[in-house]
Parts: sequence; C-alpha cells; structure tokens
Amino acid sequence: MQFEKQVEIIAPREKVWKFIWDIDRFIACVPGCKDAKTVEDGKRYSAVMVEKVGPFKVEFPTTIEVLERDELSHIKAQASGADNKIGSRMKIDLDVNLREQDNKTVVSFVAGVDILGKLAALGHGIIKRKADQVLDEFAQAVKTTLEGDK
Amino acid sequence: MLKRFRLEEPESAAEVSELLGRFGDSAKIYAGGTELLLAMKEGLVHYERLINVKKLKGLSEIAGENGTIKIGALCTHHQLETSPVLQQTLPSLVKLEQNVANVRVRQAGSIGGNLCFAEPHADPGTLLMALGATMVAEKSSGPREIAAADFFVDAYETSLKADELLTAIRVPAPGANSRSAYLKFGYLERPSVGVAMALTLDGPVVNEVKIAVGCAGPAPRRVAEAEALLNAKSKDEAVRLLPQAGAIAGRASEAISDLHGAQDYKEHIVGVLLKRAFNSIVS
Repeated sequence: MQFEKQVEIIAPREKVWKFIWDIDRFIACVPGCKDAKTVEDGKRYSAVMVEKVGPFKVEFPTTIEVLERDELSHIKAQASGADNKIGSRMKIDLDVNLREQDNKTVVSFVAGVDILGKLAALGHGIIKRKADQVLDEFAQAVKTTLEGDK
Repeated sequence: MLKRFRLEEPESAAEVSELLGRFGDSAKIYAGGTELLLAMKEGLVHYERLINVKKLKGLSEIAGENGTIKIGALCTHHQLETSPVLQQTLPSLVKLEQNVANVRVRQAGSIGGNLCFAEPHADPGTLLMALGATMVAEKSSGPREIAAADFFVDAYETSLKADELLTAIRVPAPGANSRSAYLKFGYLERPSVGVAMALTLDGPVVNEVKIAVGCAGPAPRRVAEAEALLNAKSKDEAVRLLPQAGAIAGRASEAISDLHGAQDYKEHIVGVLLKRAFNSIVS
C-alpha cells in the first residue's frame, strides 16, 4: 500500500528538521507509538506501535532504520516489526522531503506500508483505511506541535 | 486453536454490565459465537473471560407492542426468518434474514451479536437503519436507546459503551402504506454492497423515504441527501431522480477498494441496487 501525504507547517525548515530528530517529541506525534529509544543516534531507533481496529489490537515492537539523510531536505527510513502474539508483520518504507515555501516548510512523505500475516484477514480495505487515518493524524500532530511551539 | 478462557455465566443484564465494567478489555460478551469464536480460533483476539449471555431471560423474544416491534438481542437469525410477527410486519427483514450467511450461522448467530460485532459486510444494520430502528442498550444504571444511524461508528466499532449490553432492537411498526426492501450483491462469501430503502406510498407520491447503504464501506450509513431528493415526489419524478440519488448514495457509502470490488464499481452497484429496490417496492 502506497500513501502520499503533504503537510505545510508555518515554521522554518531548520526547526522542522531539528524536530524530526528529537525522537521523543517526534514519536509522540505518531498515533499509537510509545517507548521510543535511540539505539544509535541518527541511525537506528526502536519503538512500540500499538494499533486498534475495533476489538482487534496489534502491538509491533518496531525497529526504525535511517537509510539516507540529506541535511535539511531528505530522509529515507525503514520501520519494521512483528506481533508474534497475533502472527503479523509490518514494514514501512518512508521517504520524507522538506522544502521551503515562503514562511512555511512543506513536508511531503511517501509511505509504502506492508502488513503481512493474520492481520490481513481484516481485509485490505480496512487496513488501508486505518493506515491512511494514522498517517493523517500523524501529519496533523506534527503541524500542531510545531506551530503551537512558537 | 482456541486458547483457554474463563466462562462467566451472569443471570441479568445488570450483572453482565458489572462484569464488563470490572474486567474491561480482557472480557467479551459471548452469544452465538459465530464471529467471536472464529476470530479467537484464528488468534486475532484473545479474552481471559467470555461472558455467556445465552442464559439471560427475556432477550430471545420477538413481539409487537404499542406500535413497535421489539426483537430480543439474543434472537437467532433463524428465529427472525421464521417469526410470524416479522413475516406479518417486516417481510423485508425476514427476506434479509433468510439470506444471511448460511444455515449454520443462522441457527447459532444472534442478531445482537451481528450488530455488536459490526463486521462491515453484515446485512441487518443497513436495513434496520432504513426502518428507523433503535437499539436498546443496558447497563447497571439503566437502559438507553440509540438510533440505528448512530449505532455504527466504524468498522467493528459501535457506539455502545464498554459496560453496555445490547438487549433489544425496536423497530417502528410500518403503516399500511409503508414499503421496504433490502438488496445486496456480491460474488464472495460476504456481500460487496447492500442497499436498503423504506418509504410510504401516499397515492402517487412517495413520502418518508429512508435510504441506507452498507457493506461497501466501513459501516452502514443513512443517506439523508438522497432521501431528501426523493421525498414528497411523485413516483414518476422519483424514478427520474433515481440515478442522481444513486450517485449520492454511492458516494455516501464511503466505498473501499478491496477484494469485494473497486470503489467506483461498488458506488455504481449502489445506484443499481437503489433503482431496483425502488422499483420493487413501488411497482
């Protein structure tokens, strides 16, 4: 599943870039994400992603690996995790781009999300919708946090 | 394989509510089990406790009372499809129930369980919405009624509170000129699209038009905009407006592209079924 999102943040690019690497504040914007830890600064992080669709809950202990990093403009990362209780795996390939536009920073990201295993029994449509909601909430939370933080 | 769980056997709705309040997410109500046990066997969900409500008294009856038909939440689909009260008053619901899943599910599955599990591809919620039904939810402090249109929140999510038990469905008894229909279409085990329509025929004019769509999206939805378009129109005028109403209903279905069909395909089918539903009840 491929998702493309864009969010305009009224804040300078340096500030947005710094925020992305402030792992605790950044992870707080990802719905259902907790216990963020830095494994290797700037390269590898870990967190637990908890998502829920009605009575179905998944908990993915997730490793986030930063694959590419161009200062102030681009990040390529991969997050992967498995819920052994339910027997499901997920992988997210994330491409984030930052550019300046007037007094705003435009953050656009492309996320390739793969969910494998029993969770897929819920149906592609339901999972896609959930992933879309999570990404929208995330984009909104980043905007609110940065803009509220004058 | 089914993991071990404790079985609670309360004797009243208040007791069920108390157990739900006490054990929270680790407990789940168990009635017919046709959805719940499948999900548990698959390992998609696990509960430490199942609260067996099958022995609760007074929740398995269907009766007409003061202009309302009250359907106990524990009634099986089979009870609904064979109920003389429903055959007389709500033939569209009987027909729907005759076509729910298969005979094994209809024998064991309850209407309450079907509604509370809120599986997106379930049939009854959509028609109940068009029939203007209300859900009776009980907890220790007493009952409350939820309009069917407000009951379904999202896929697998209802507006029931964590400590509430659905005890009955109340459907207003249709008047002599009222008509309703539920049509569905699909090529997999569960339907791709379901459309329900109810209206009153006052001579050549259609009134009290109610339209609901289900299965295509995450949860059944009432389509007030399409209802307003057709309401108080002559039959002929309504027929002319049906394609427009169908397009509105298609969009309102929040159709999701999946194995059951692409979004635009499902939206198109909503329009086709709406037209057929109208023709079947008006002609």
